[in-house]
Amino acid sequence: MNRNQLVLLLSLLVGISLIGFFLFGPEKEVDYSTQIKPILNKHCITCHGGVKKNGGFSILFEKEAFAINESGLPAIVPGSPNSSELIKRLTHSDPELRMPYQKAALSDEEIDLLKTWIRQGAKWGKHWAYKPVKKPEIPTQTQIAGMGSGDSEVKLSPIDYFIREKLEEKGLKPSAQEQPLRLLRRVALDLTGLPPSETLVSDFSSGKITYEQAVDQLLKAETYGEKWATWWLDLARYADTKGYERDVSRTMWPYRDWVILAFNADKPFDEFTIEQLAGDLLPNPTQDQLTATAFHRNTMNNDEGGTEDEEFRVAAILDRVNTTYEVWQSTTMACVQCHSHTYDPIRHEEFYQSAAFFNNTRDEDTHDEEPRLRFYEEEQLGQVKNVITWTKEYEGEKAAKARADFLKFYEPKYAAHLATDFNRSELIDTKWLGLWSGGSAVYKNIDTQGSDQLLLDYWTGLDGTQMTIRKDGPEGEVLASFVINKTQGETVKQIPFKPISGKINLYIEAKNPSAGPQQNTSTIVWFAFLPSLKGKDKPGFKEAESDWEELLKFRGTRLPILIENPTYMARKTHVFERGNWMVLGQEVNPKTPAEFGGWREEWPKNRLGFAYWLTSAENPLTARTLVNRIWDQLFGRGIVRTLEDMGSQSDPPSHPELLDYLAWKTMNDYAWSIKALIREIVTTATYKQSSILSPEVFEKDPENQWYSRGPRFRLSAEQVRDQALAVSGLLSEKMYGPSVKPHQPEGIWQTVYNGESWTESEGEDKYRRGIYTFLKRTSPYPSFITFDAASREVCLSKRLVTNTPLQALVTLNDPVYLEAAKNLGKNAWAKGAGNPEKAISSTYQQVIFSPISEGKKKTLMDLFASAKVEFTTNPAALADFFPGAKPEEAAMAVVANAMMNFDEFLTKP
Amino acid sequence: MKHLEKLLAELAVQKLQNQTRRHFLMDCVSKVGVLAMAPLLFGCEPEHLIKKSTGLNLSERDLNPLAPLPPPFVGKAKSIIYLHMAGAPSQLELFDYKPELARYHDKDCPESLLEGRKFAFIRGVPKMLGPQAQFAQHGQSGAWVSDYLPHFAKVTDEVAFLKAVHTDQFNHGPAQLFMQTGSPRLGRPSLGSWVTYGLGTENQNLPGFVVLTSGGKTPDAGKSVWGSGFLPSVYQGVQCRSKGDPVLYLEDPTGMSRDLKKNVISAINQVNQEDFETFGDPEILARINQYEMAYRMQIEVPEVMNINDEPEHIHELYGTKPGEESFANNCLLARKLVEKGVRVVQLYDWGWDTHGTDHDGSIDKGLRNKCREIDRPMSALLLDLKQRGLLEETLVVWGGEFGRTPMQENREGKVQSFMGRDHHVDAFTMWMAGGGVKKGASYGITDDFGFSGVDERVSVHDLHATILQLMGFNHEKFTYDFQGRPFRLTDVHGELIHAVLA
Repeated sequence: MNRNQLVLLLSLLVGISLIGFFLFGPEKEVDYSTQIKPILNKHCITCHGGVKKNGGFSILFEKEAFAINESGLPAIVPGSPNSSELIKRLTHSDPELRMPYQKAALSDEEIDLLKTWIRQGAKWGKHWAYKPVKKPEIPTQTQIAGMGSGDSEVKLSPIDYFIREKLEEKGLKPSAQEQPLRLLRRVALDLTGLPPSETLVSDFSSGKITYEQAVDQLLKAETYGEKWATWWLDLARYADTKGYERDVSRTMWPYRDWVILAFNADKPFDEFTIEQLAGDLLPNPTQDQLTATAFHRNTMNNDEGGTEDEEFRVAAILDRVNTTYEVWQSTTMACVQCHSHTYDPIRHEEFYQSAAFFNNTRDEDTHDEEPRLRFYEEEQLGQVKNVITWTKEYEGEKAAKARADFLKFYEPKYAAHLATDFNRSELIDTKWLGLWSGGSAVYKNIDTQGSDQLLLDYWTGLDGTQMTIRKDGPEGEVLASFVINKTQGETVKQIPFKPISGKINLYIEAKNPSAGPQQNTSTIVWFAFLPSLKGKDKPGFKEAESDWEELLKFRGTRLPILIENPTYMARKTHVFERGNWMVLGQEVNPKTPAEFGGWREEWPKNRLGFAYWLTSAENPLTARTLVNRIWDQLFGRGIVRTLEDMGSQSDPPSHPELLDYLAWKTMNDYAWSIKALIREIVTTATYKQSSILSPEVFEKDPENQWYSRGPRFRLSAEQVRDQALAVSGLLSEKMYGPSVKPHQPEGIWQTVYNGESWTESEGEDKYRRGIYTFLKRTSPYPSFITFDAASREVCLSKRLVTNTPLQALVTLNDPVYLEAAKNLGKNAWAKGAGNPEKAISSTYQQVIFSPISEGKKKTLMDLFASAKVEFTTNPAALADFFPGAKPEEAAMAVVANAMMNFDEFLTKP
Repeated sequence: MKHLEKLLAELAVQKLQNQTRRHFLMDCVSKVGVLAMAPLLFGCEPEHLIKKSTGLNLSERDLNPLAPLPPPFVGKAKSIIYLHMAGAPSQLELFDYKPELARYHDKDCPESLLEGRKFAFIRGVPKMLGPQAQFAQHGQSGAWVSDYLPHFAKVTDEVAFLKAVHTDQFNHGPAQLFMQTGSPRLGRPSLGSWVTYGLGTENQNLPGFVVLTSGGKTPDAGKSVWGSGFLPSVYQGVQCRSKGDPVLYLEDPTGMSRDLKKNVISAINQVNQEDFETFGDPEILARINQYEMAYRMQIEVPEVMNINDEPEHIHELYGTKPGEESFANNCLLARKLVEKGVRVVQLYDWGWDTHGTDHDGSIDKGLRNKCREIDRPMSALLLDLKQRGLLEETLVVWGGEFGRTPMQENREGKVQSFMGRDHHVDAFTMWMAGGGVKKGASYGITDDFGFSGVDERVSVHDLHATILQLMGFNHEKFTYDFQGRPFRLTDVHGELIHAVLA
């Protein structure tokens, strides 16, 4: 080859490659998480990852994917697709060898993509959701500002720029802004769950306040907390009963009130998180911080006789792990309970490492649901103070702290169900210790902390039972000997106890000649070791002693909370093989999943450290999860549609930069303020758009995922009811306190072994907001369930909105709605002052926040006329339908009943 | 003309199978938007009216998602009555006769049955528990049925038994979900929803898919077992009660006449129609349909749910007592409902979880009592359907969510005070009868202990495939697109059980 030929050849080659370059462009780098991972998840991972590793090959974790397989070869050779077994097997001509086995082959595009990826070095990547949140650039503002829908006046916010950039990309245009009053109704329903008040309406429509000012007023209203707490309580699986078979009532409402108060105070979301997950571990926790920990006591508690408490304690712990990950990390951990995650890089043992954070609390599925936080009355608080001051004076700070804690939540103590070696004794209903006369039982590994006193909680109908507690066994040293007599219900007795150090076995026996054969001499609930009050000879002792004794009789409000085990009661955590709690694998220590990263060594390895980890700036999932769900509350869909999961099987975000913008801003600019986040969203042009929908737009964006129109969807179960009560003037403004029982039909509660019944509340309690309605898990308030409310057995990220005729029957016929209609009708008639047309127009305006059209007015006038004729000609019907009302009032009630069933009434505009 | 109608109907099926709810409703937007809804309210011949007012050929389904549709091929059955014994009855006391197990009674369970297995409550090495019933063969087919079910023993020639059904879920909730939705997780449509979606219902004045419960409790898995999952919620089961309002809030307020109620609903829907024209949101059309249906249900549900007027011989046949909430009443109601054109009737009877922890939950006593509650009515149901000529077009399915162990339960390793069996997934008995089912068939063979199926095993997916086949669907082609992929009741599984097809 001469020089010229060479030059020619070279220039030819350059030419070809140049042509190639211009034809195909520079080869773009293939992205693992958005391009490769979906292919692997779709076709490969069910047999090669997580549960199954056929041929020893798994493609779930990076290390495994490049490892040598059973064949002795690696499946992937970076840089060399042709020598990669993976590619060979995807394209093999022998159907026995061609993968996926016995399924359709991958498409050419998919195979090409995999080849390119391997040729480029098979770079592994993190799933988008696990990457740190970075502040994205806001799209160029000039470019987008021009594409408005003629509304040049509209001020655009960064959110709008992100939205409009996508709209442009999709060939969509934003809608015009919503009519002011309809918009006010929309934002009031979104922020407070209720229509706007008359004052707000008049201030806003007269121009006295701007939209932004109206938003600020709504955010300040106490009803804001009620609305947003309802959302949070679905995640917290808050209910008023324990769940499972017997499903009896429990006291959880102080937690519900805490949530309402926290939202109203705009408690920053990081504090909100830390207090709920680990309030008890904060230094000198307040009553409120302890109350917050009831979040994880919303787990179900099984009272069924014959069930082992430990099994359901474990179930509760696992639920806490799953719930925590779903609520804060949009991660489905439930799969990892039994095996490594099929799709996401979380290992089996990592589930249990997470569980180890939660597995060290005092609660043990006992019937009384201890530990419970005591809510003392004012006067009792004085007694508490007296006892604590006394203890500090005569025993010092440490003892005073221990006694103060004991008065708060009665821990540490030992539950009766820990008994073993039953001899003429039993665990009554697998809950309490019952000793027959001459009977005994043993408690093993008990640490008395050298206490000179035992506290015993029990009840009995018998007098004169001689009880003896010995060390180790029947011949052991006597540590306590005492007599118990008939009690008035459950009681706590203080018993002198021989101080002894270290862990010992307690042998406990009872004798009572008057007890019948196999009769329990008493029912023992728990025992604890707390030193007696010192300073017996000092003035004031008697008072301190009597205060203390009286406090031990406390039977007021007690809320289940989280309390950490003291060191001497600490639990170990093991992997459960295949998720079976009976088959223990290796022991594990608290640790967060490796793939998520972000753990700092200075954090304590307990729930508090875990909560710090969740809320640290390095954890990308917490903020993304939060903003996604707030967005969903306002727009009816998340930026990531799968609210419960941001893992690799989730839907990709429709607006990834917007998601990160909001997450970044929430963590930084807003310092985790939810109100600030909500305010930013509801003041955008995007939110304020009209919800009118044209067939063309519907064609392009049926689900409104690009937000070219305002959000329009049916109200939630609670909102439907609250709104009906509000517009009819029946709604009670009373906040907080025990849950109430408004009217419900007979025969709804059908639970076995449960003597409770639905006793209708009286007075204004019948008309409280839905959030205060008593929620029984196995039989929730029927009209709420019909409108898709949750039964709250487990955490729920998203309520599905359904549409059934049964909903129509509720709002037409449920006595609650009927009463509202009557009230509204009566008020309407009074307002109209004898003019039905006026009554109808003004009521429509009051309820729907729009002027009534001529067509609608005619329809309703006709309805009024026909109802009036009926009630005038048939007084009996009038008396039945609306006793004591005039025919016109009853007819107007019928009109109101219709109005409260309009689609526009049941829908956020 | 006939040809055209058929074509339209087929098109509608096609559309329904290929389109999401939104798309379906979008068609309504473009087509219905030009119609005045008011005259259609309570109309009985909408197709005729639509044609007249618009000149458009529209199937009824375009307006009403529950309008009846022909299946892709002619199914043998038109409706289903599914009797689910929630809690899971013991196959070993009812149908799967195991004399060998009797010989092993009270002996330690062989290690081979326990290795690598997890049971819900059995711990360590339990004892074997022999059958606690007397068995005999019955009818032409010689089917084994125990003395727990004397009435049913007389109708076995109508029935095809599946004796080696297996599942993979051993807790009630997930297993019930699996049996009813094809998946142990929440979120999938139930069998009844699939069928109602595919076929609509014959009677627009009743729900297409009715759920009746007895035994004092609803199933462990709650209402999700009759939920519509990702299918439009209009296809979910509607629970009807035999006490109080048959459907909650069905009754009009006192003093409000039917005429006035009709005017109320008419006004609501006129206003909604106007709003639809303004806002264009197809959800409003769904709301309009919702109110029409509610009104019609108010009339017809109380009629069909009333069994007072049934003749005495019918009450005797079923053992029904009006006013009770019982399995017997529900069986009679099931017959009435399918007679009236309801597509799917799903019965749940609670109380079959015979662990032996108490008297009611014992294999020898409690189970016998439960069987007394169902024996006469379920046999009566088959006879009654047959005498009315309905059995040929009604598929009746009976079973629990799993079976029971041949071992005596030893909860937490302790001896129990009553005889009981733990949950068991490997083999249990179900039966089918009626439309398209081979009479007197028996399919499935279990080992000597009734522990595992050794031949002719049937998975839950196989059962579903077969049920769909009988209703006129190829289970592999009956799909619904959701989250970007087609979903099937049978997921990627399911083989037809040809042996039980007539």
